[in-house]
Amino acid sequence: MTKAGGARRVVVTGLGVVTPIGTTVAEMWDSMKQGKSGTSALGGFPLDDLKILIAAQIKDFDQKARLKHFKRDRIITLADRYSWFAAVAADEAMQQSGLEYPFAQPYRSACIVGSGAGGLTTYETAYRDLFIHNKRATHPLTLLRIIGSSAAAHVGIEFGIKGPTFATCSACSTATHAIGIARDYIRDGIVDVAIAGASESVINYGTMKAWQALHVLSPEGCFPFAKKRNGTVLGEGAGILVLESLESAKARGATILAELCGYGMASDSQDMVKPTVEGPSVAMQMALDDAGIAPDAIDYLNAHGTATADNDINETKAIKNVFGDHAYKLAISSTKSMTGHPLGAGGGIEAATCIKAMQDQWAPPTIGLDEPGEGCDLDYIPNQGRAMKIGYTMSNSFAFGGLNAVLVFGPPPA
Amino acid sequence: MDEVATKIIDILKKHMKEPRDDITLDTALTDLKIESLDLAMIVFDIEDGFGIEIPYNANEDVEDFKTVGSVVERVKSLIAAKANA
Repeated sequence: MTKAGGARRVVVTGLGVVTPIGTTVAEMWDSMKQGKSGTSALGGFPLDDLKILIAAQIKDFDQKARLKHFKRDRIITLADRYSWFAAVAADEAMQQSGLEYPFAQPYRSACIVGSGAGGLTTYETAYRDLFIHNKRATHPLTLLRIIGSSAAAHVGIEFGIKGPTFATCSACSTATHAIGIARDYIRDGIVDVAIAGASESVINYGTMKAWQALHVLSPEGCFPFAKKRNGTVLGEGAGILVLESLESAKARGATILAELCGYGMASDSQDMVKPTVEGPSVAMQMALDDAGIAPDAIDYLNAHGTATADNDINETKAIKNVFGDHAYKLAISSTKSMTGHPLGAGGGIEAATCIKAMQDQWAPPTIGLDEPGEGCDLDYIPNQGRAMKIGYTMSNSFAFGGLNAVLVFGPPPA
Repeated sequence: MDEVATKIIDILKKHMKEPRDDITLDTALTDLKIESLDLAMIVFDIEDGFGIEIPYNANEDVEDFKTVGSVVERVKSLIAAKANA
């Protein structure tokens, strides 16, 4: 059960998501089948002078109901919203995996749950209290809510993980890096099991102002690869996988959902917002080489597809670079058209999406794609999902700062 | 029990996982299963509720916080100190 060089094979045995189009994998998948958009009128806090008035928010999230069975982590419901999302997604993935916890071999498990920004909304509330309302102190849990490693710690406490536990932070590639690192830890024999992914919840007044000042948000909607695209739409949520060694999964007779067979990462080292074609191309090629498969083995590619002017053209060029003629036969979609842009959590949600696509032999669509944009001439599965043969899938994450990470999933090993 | 004590016991109950009704001034805080994080939140609520500041460091054993009665006495002296300031 090892590849050449003795490296162990790594499989996925659990998926968990929290998204604006469903707060379980089943709900999200059903919404994707219906081509549902998670974008709605911005709300939940005073909008004041905001000009961008839409976002993909998770409405009516009942953390108390979803976390009431947590036993070891007694303060999870008092944590920041981003930690709630992580805990709920990790719980769903753990339940599906059938793994017993707290783990019998706690030092052989890892918990790598990242976040692009941690508890930004807690910061905002605390600073409003201090600077506007002249409160004498912040809430005692403020610091624990804010820190970007709190979701990882909460999840690690609940499931009894005593091996490597930390957060990754690489903007929109955060979850993908977390999953990739966890894969490497299992492959290299450091641990046997890992909970990995990311969580994000930053939609508040200050964040909206910051994104607005960067002029990359659309006032209308998230329309990847479309002519009418005019920016991304902020989303929120979490996407988490349970990964384990093939030996571990087989030994306990677990249902294997997919193999995580390729991981690639490369940085542009050029510009904070202007991506290169080279960085994403190298990351995709590395993931293919790591998986030991030819480009034409990939049937479905979940694009980073943010609906910004730059990303979509650049990503299209990079895909052509790596896939050559197969780029035109490849089924590609950006599910951000439905989930909005969940920032750090994106790669986790999209990894779960790739695995669902393989299980269901159905590729989700890019909605809102009535007319393709200039330079966007590949098959982006416009508006309607597609029943098709799906062997291997690729998930792209390309972050601000030129931080690129790519995962390749394959069918469960026979 | 006076108003200060009643208010403090209400705050304690709010932060207890299993609130109970038999709390007296002699009850030790350790009997209420209050841990350091709970204590930080209790102190915060007491400070807010009485408009005072309780000097306390979670790294040190705090003599003033051994029993419910000792907390009540400490709060009363801080209220008095504030009134005289």
